[in-house]
Amino acid sequence: MSSWLDYTINGLIVGNVYALVAVGLALIFGVSRLINFAQGSIYLVGAYIGWVAVVQLHTPLPLTIIVVAAAAALVGLIIERFGLRPLQNSVRIAPLLATIGISFVLDQLVMLTFSPNPRALPSQLPDVRFQVGGGTIGPLDLLIAGVGITSALLLFVFLRYSKLGWAVRAASQDRDAAMQMGVDVNRVNQAVFGIAAALGGVSGMLVGMYYNQIDTAMSLQATLKGVVAEVVGGAGNVPGAVVGSLLLGLVESYGVAVFGTSYRNLFAFLLLVVVLVLRPNGLFASARQAPPEPLTGTFIAPSRPVRIPRWALAVAAAIFAILPLFPVSFYVLQTLINAWLLGMLALSLTLVAGTIGQVSLGHAALLAIGAYTSALLSLTFAVPVGLAIIGGGLMSAALGTTLISPSFRLRGHYVSIATLAIGEIVSLVILNWESVTRGPIGISGIPPLSLFGYDLISPTSIYWFSLSVMVVLALLQGRLLTSHLGRSFRAIRDDDIAARAYGLSLNRYKSLAFIFGGFAAGISGGIAAHLYSYINHETFNTQQSILALTVVILGGLGNVVGAILGSVALVGLPEMFRIAAEYRILIYGIVLLLLVRFRPQGLLGTI
Amino acid sequence: MTNASPEALLALSNVNTFYGQAQVHFDLSISVARGHIVCLLGGNASGKSTTMKIILGLVKPRSGEVTFDGASLVGLTTPQIVRRGIASVPEARRLFAEMSVRENILMGAFVRNDREAIAQDLDRMLTLFPKLGQRLSQRAGSLSGGEQQMVAMARALMSRPRMIVMDEPTMGLSPLYVDRVLELIRTINQEGVSVFMVEQNASLALEIAHEAYVLQTGKIVLSGPARALKDDPRVRDAYLGGSEAA
Ligand SMILES: Nc1ncnc2c1ncn2[C@@H]1O[C@H](COP(=O)(O)OP(=O)(O)OP(=O)(O)O)[C@@H](O)[C@H]1O
Ligand SMILES: [Mg+2]
Repeated sequence: MSSWLDYTINGLIVGNVYALVAVGLALIFGVSRLINFAQGSIYLVGAYIGWVAVVQLHTPLPLTIIVVAAAAALVGLIIERFGLRPLQNSVRIAPLLATIGISFVLDQLVMLTFSPNPRALPSQLPDVRFQVGGGTIGPLDLLIAGVGITSALLLFVFLRYSKLGWAVRAASQDRDAAMQMGVDVNRVNQAVFGIAAALGGVSGMLVGMYYNQIDTAMSLQATLKGVVAEVVGGAGNVPGAVVGSLLLGLVESYGVAVFGTSYRNLFAFLLLVVVLVLRPNGLFASARQAPPEPLTGTFIAPSRPVRIPRWALAVAAAIFAILPLFPVSFYVLQTLINAWLLGMLALSLTLVAGTIGQVSLGHAALLAIGAYTSALLSLTFAVPVGLAIIGGGLMSAALGTTLISPSFRLRGHYVSIATLAIGEIVSLVILNWESVTRGPIGISGIPPLSLFGYDLISPTSIYWFSLSVMVVLALLQGRLLTSHLGRSFRAIRDDDIAARAYGLSLNRYKSLAFIFGGFAAGISGGIAAHLYSYINHETFNTQQSILALTVVILGGLGNVVGAILGSVALVGLPEMFRIAAEYRILIYGIVLLLLVRFRPQGLLGTI
Repeated sequence: MTNASPEALLALSNVNTFYGQAQVHFDLSISVARGHIVCLLGGNASGKSTTMKIILGLVKPRSGEVTFDGASLVGLTTPQIVRRGIASVPEARRLFAEMSVRENILMGAFVRNDREAIAQDLDRMLTLFPKLGQRLSQRAGSLSGGEQQMVAMARALMSRPRMIVMDEPTMGLSPLYVDRVLELIRTINQEGVSVFMVEQNASLALEIAHEAYVLQTGKIVLSGPARALKDDPRVRDAYLGGSEAA
């Protein structure tokens, strides 16, 4: 590729692919006010079904497209019927969390079936390129453009001329009023999930053919790109999603042209953050239009927390403290050290997501900031490790809060999208800022943990160290929750409009919550860096953010003891039952789904 | 308290409704006779809109019975209830703002499949609401409040309902439109459609209603023929929350 025309063609083709994903997201958002985080998984499923069809069944291209669309639609219908319909009357966060759980389950099932190794997906089209002006275009480009335009036309006809299409439009404008006209909202949901999944699946297949490669990492990327395009176009706005997608494709393509391939995603997420901050209703919404509904109202299941007497907590702490004095294996200590590190992250997230109601999906970024800061301080500036870790915590508090502050004005699902994007941006900056972070090579030779000049090498000393840090953070957070500040946090979570009316400054309190949460997460990341001795931009990834979220929901949002209990359970139980690593994420996904369905308040209840 | 009489088209008996812990209706009983206009009066937050939602199945009562034409509505979904012949003009009209006026009116016929008859009914609506004729392809959200009310009424009529329930149909309208709306309700009723309407404006509503109920914090405190209630000083006090009436 060379000319600007080539970059433009490439941008439009990629934009077309994004549009197939984003249109589905927009349809679903329109009807259900839900951001479907499982959309990328359906795209992944579509790619692999396409692979089976092409490589194993040798189907001709038109048949392949039909098979992929039909199979993906079926997956969409199953998700709607069994994953989301039972949650219709639950709290608003439930369907969002369910789609996250579903996406983890689907991705892992694909990975277990097909192995994580990339596969080639041939397009079966002749490999020729035609000269157009100063650029070139191939048959696959034309196929993608053709599928995009055909889908758009079919969708237009469906929405404009069919009875079910009218029902979809009416329900997306006013669900209750549509029901009062006799519209069966379940059928509408089925329709949009089926359509969204068919489009998403075909999109995944086309992308696989475009790059002649498919792998399981495609899923999260597709969800992110689709969400970016959809939000840029205005959540729930179907034509807007198409324009947003083409814009995203072009921005990425030109960004790559100027700065190189590794900047592709950075531009996508920067575009998202800019749009979220400047025009949260999308580029095409009129400024006075009210934001769509999920931005308002309480988000979290209220419940009565399980009361645990203080002495019981003290006994439990004491038992864990003296545990290394007994003949326990190295392996048990190792597992518990991981649980304590995850516990610190969960404390941070339970404060941010539970107590003040900002459901962050990018929390691993705070780990990464803490880890890199601590590692670089100790390596480059020879700062003692203990101080370096505290430096990591402070940096994470300061930088994390600064980065997230643009999203303070957002609410509900939008906070989750923004934090997810900010998390990705942090990881991409680490990847690209080579002079500081050493880029893709990562940082190796990080000095081991030490305190006041004494190296902490033995598992026992590391165990005590991490346990005591976590306990101190937990005690501080417990104090915080019962203080006036904690009550203000909860007031903002429960009704931010009322809280503002009482004169609480939302930005100040959200900052305070992120400062405290950022510190705890940064400390956890800092300790981890010295423990692992090697980190890179993928050490702290979205999977960890989601694991932390599962932990927090398992324990009960906002619940300090619950966060620790959840960490021990989710780290410890898979070890106890010797569950192979590749099944663990599957299990986390299933745990999340079961919790959302049967016990949204978690084990110990929300606070 | 009126008990459901055999000729009642719609009857609520001993309905108790809760939002979470908060009780909104206390043993509510209301009946609407076939061919009548029945009006439910009450002050803010007395539970009027919730009564509409109970009838339409948008909110489920914790206990009590709701019957339409002798058959129970409890447990039916909203679309099923609509198919039994109840149409609605919701609070604040709730048009489909991004759809055209024509599409909004036709959405009212969603439960029907007789294309030709639907087209005829659309024409009939344009004679009943002549002003809508020039607005058919305009976005519903861009109409004035009074025009939107006309669309909402036309939309409700398009299902050829046996009964229409209306939530504050005169709210926010200029006096001219208020008269027009009341007149239309009377016309609709004379064509055989029973009407159950929620109103805050007692004197207006009592002019066209046959019977009326007064709701105060979830309890019926007064009921009877509209003519009798019109001159009753307790009516005003009751739904404005005055304590003398209780
Ligand atoms: N979805 C809901 N959840 C919780 N409480 C509700 C809900 N809808 C209504 N309420 C409460 O129930 C009570 C009755 O509400 P309702 O809307 O029926 O009153 P209304 O008589 O129609 O009032 P208005 O004249 O203001 O329209 C009010 O106190 C209201 O706050
Ligand atoms: Mg009301």
